[in-house]
Amino acid sequence: MSDLNTTGVEGTVTIKPAPETPKLPPREWLKENLFSNKFNTLLTLFSAAILLMISRGLLSFIFNPERQWGSTSTNLRLMMTQAYPEEQYIRVWVSVAVIFTLVGASMAIWNAGSRVTLRRLGSFLLSSGVVIDILTLLAPFSGQAKIIWLIIGSAVSGAGGVLLRVSDKDKDISSLTLVVATLAAAILSLWIVPFGHHSFVFERTPRSMAETGTVALTTKLPWTIMVVIGILAYFLGKIVMNRFPSKNLRPTIIGIWFLTPPTLLYLVLRDPDFDMGHVLNTDIPIFLIFAIAGGALLSWFTRPTTGEIGRVCAALVLLAGFGMFFTPMRMIIRILMLLLATFALAAPTFAGDSKTRRRYVLAWLGVSGIITWLVTAVNTPSTIEVPGDFFLGGISLTLLVAIFTIVISFPIGILLALARTSKMPIFRILSTWFIEFVRGIPLITILIFFSIMVPLFLPKGMELSEVSAIVIGYSLFSAAYLAENVRGGLQSVTRGQHEAAEAVGMTTSQKTFFIVLPQALRVSIPPLVGHCIGVFKETSLLAIIGLFDILYIARNVIPNQTEFLGSTRENLLFVSLIYFFFAYQMSKASQRLERRVGLGER
Amino acid sequence: MSKLFKLLSLFLAIGVVAAACSSDSSDDASTTAAPAETTAAPATTAVELDADGSLLDTVIARGTLNCGVSGSAVAFSETQADGSVTGFDADYCRAVAAAVLGDADAVNFVALTASERFTAVQTGDVDLLMRNTTWTQSRDSDVGMDFGPTTYYDGQQLMARVDDGFDASSTVADLDGAIVCTNAGTTTEKNIAEAAELAGADIELLAFETSDEVYETFIAGGCDITTTDGSALVGRKVKQQPADQEWVIFPATPISKEPLGPTYGQNDSAWADVINWTVYATIIMDEYGITSANVDDHVGDPGEVGRLLGGEGELQTVMGLSADAFHQVIKQVGNYSEIYNTNLNPVGLVREGSANAGWLDGGLIYAPPAR
Repeated sequence: MSDLNTTGVEGTVTIKPAPETPKLPPREWLKENLFSNKFNTLLTLFSAAILLMISRGLLSFIFNPERQWGSTSTNLRLMMTQAYPEEQYIRVWVSVAVIFTLVGASMAIWNAGSRVTLRRLGSFLLSSGVVIDILTLLAPFSGQAKIIWLIIGSAVSGAGGVLLRVSDKDKDISSLTLVVATLAAAILSLWIVPFGHHSFVFERTPRSMAETGTVALTTKLPWTIMVVIGILAYFLGKIVMNRFPSKNLRPTIIGIWFLTPPTLLYLVLRDPDFDMGHVLNTDIPIFLIFAIAGGALLSWFTRPTTGEIGRVCAALVLLAGFGMFFTPMRMIIRILMLLLATFALAAPTFAGDSKTRRRYVLAWLGVSGIITWLVTAVNTPSTIEVPGDFFLGGISLTLLVAIFTIVISFPIGILLALARTSKMPIFRILSTWFIEFVRGIPLITILIFFSIMVPLFLPKGMELSEVSAIVIGYSLFSAAYLAENVRGGLQSVTRGQHEAAEAVGMTTSQKTFFIVLPQALRVSIPPLVGHCIGVFKETSLLAIIGLFDILYIARNVIPNQTEFLGSTRENLLFVSLIYFFFAYQMSKASQRLERRVGLGER
Repeated sequence: MSKLFKLLSLFLAIGVVAAACSSDSSDDASTTAAPAETTAAPATTAVELDADGSLLDTVIARGTLNCGVSGSAVAFSETQADGSVTGFDADYCRAVAAAVLGDADAVNFVALTASERFTAVQTGDVDLLMRNTTWTQSRDSDVGMDFGPTTYYDGQQLMARVDDGFDASSTVADLDGAIVCTNAGTTTEKNIAEAAELAGADIELLAFETSDEVYETFIAGGCDITTTDGSALVGRKVKQQPADQEWVIFPATPISKEPLGPTYGQNDSAWADVINWTVYATIIMDEYGITSANVDDHVGDPGEVGRLLGGEGELQTVMGLSADAFHQVIKQVGNYSEIYNTNLNPVGLVREGSANAGWLDGGLIYAPPAR
């Protein structure tokens, strides 16, 4: 998953050039591929006619003067973040900036981007110009608009044609430059083109909520800054990589990617109102006790001479952790205890010389520190005041649920897969039952159960917000499917690999984590990415349980505003474009990932 | 090293899961020194619900009113482009907040679907339901709700095209052979089927998931009739009637009664009184013509107005409110007419001549005397 993230939204990967196929002149290419025989010709004409009809229908829908596109442009903010207060919007922009920075830096460090020959660019421009012209002829434009668009289309294809003629065969250009140019053009259009009137002014007194044009004004400058930040981050990443090449660079970035969603959500977007006194006398002392005692314990467990007694003690820590988790006490203690137990169990795998041990203890300190910080932030009241249960909605909620579900269900799914393939009967049976049970229930049932029933079952004094409950339920559901994908990968690892690992004296956990899992996960990339896309798209079921995800807003909320009665279809079209954008980017990222790990080649 | 790192990120992910699922147990909440600790993901502050006390004390202690609304009901509770909630129902939420807390903006609007609205009241997620909920016998008795004074008298009507031979005097009996479009799974579906059967008309019902789909189909000619509450029909006629069609709403007497008003949990008299009298106060002030603009000039008036706006104050203080509670309601939100006109006039609904006119004008809006 981490690799998937780091390739980023517009990153590309260096590809070995495919063996060159001889290029045919256009006329012969057409003849070869589209009109080779009578049947083929018929098929081409038939599908062309259907394509034209669909395009015409779509265009006359979009450009119909009755369409209320104002409903989409006026409600853009509602669709992005729902009711997030305007005066706090800087927090949203900071979050976007962090993500842009990470994308930029990751692209530099992973050497993203490939070379595109100018000829390819030329033929792309030529064909897109032709497509623009055809669409313009189909669209129900007025005479003047038609002429303007025809001129634009012809100009584009003209530029493409010139590029195709003039440029040498080997001249090429970085794909990143193209991406930046496209982004810059999009941003420039924000400054030049008046994209509708983005205002919330209502005739009804006393409800005027914003002045005319404020939203348009507030988005063009931030977006410009965001793109500049992304570009700067890219060059910074390049400099760091060239000046201070280090093996730890990539793992660090992966770690930051993992920490970003919870940090942005709980610390930046939610703006917890920390009570410093409470933090100083409760949270920090608890952390220090765990850090010191746990560090000492782990340092002892990882000593190679400890042997069996260490395992027994680790098991005892686990028992204590479970016991404490179900006893009422401060949440932070329960979580740290469980975390310590996990570390203790894995300790023998990392046994070794003093340097390795020191690293392990440091890792414990780091992880427990981050967790303490997060738990404290989660349990601190937010200062963001919004109507409803949750302070985010729209596409932010959709992305949030999707990202957290994917990240949480990954470890659970892998553990389930390992349990199902293990030789230990209890784990195998429990895991099999869980997977088969969950796969036998529709997702919507699970979501309804977790949103309506679970809050009723919780003991008095324990609370779970609806969104957290749903993320937990959805993660369990997703983990069951994910486990089956991983199991497929696990079974593809040959027996020889197991035996070889055993032959060099690896323990079972070393064998699993260092030999079997990496190979299994590599094989499972395509189904895993398919699963992630599915998780993202199925968040639209949140609409059924009444959460304000983007689909609910587009389908139920906006068409019920007095100003925009009957605007469902416009908004559904817009929302489907957004879903497509994200799903397509995920799919592209997986293709690059597959190429990087050489899937299908070896 | 990088493998170690991968493993550690796995741990971290597990830890984050645990953190996200975290919630505080009761012993934390009861230690007074600790700040009010909320739970996993944000936004709701836990308030201990005293089993014997009234919701009124809880709301005053919390400082905000959790009001359940639809969030997607035209003119009654719309979610606006900036996420705020406006409308007729939303204004009554604000009125109750003004009465109880002295601040009409101290409302936390909770958008509820039709299926979760009663559960939300029972679990205490919302203190009050202002979600165009029809007052029915089973809801009042079996479901465990209590209903306040009706704020809007609605009723199911039908809408058809004049070209198809319908006019304002048409009746359900004229529907014979018609295709009728309506929302799926609502009582409107049952009502029209029942009415058609009684009138001996044979109709074909088409049910859709959202209202917009119903009207898209109606405009395109996919059905002859649409039916839903009269208030919604008027709004659609005003906003969506195409230039080449003329729509008519009939019959004058609706085929069902849909009294809409505040709904709350049962057996909490103190809370019920506060909500009921907030509604009555807006109605009484409307009778006297006291609006948000001139309410300040009438504080010392003799009689009912003076008593409601403060007076000696004991009428309000005995209910657990401050003496000027209803003064704040009128000042910050408005009287019944103001609330009605700001929200419902834009969708073409007018009070004059409807069931929602004051009782002196031949309508049903009536309030008991304040003394």
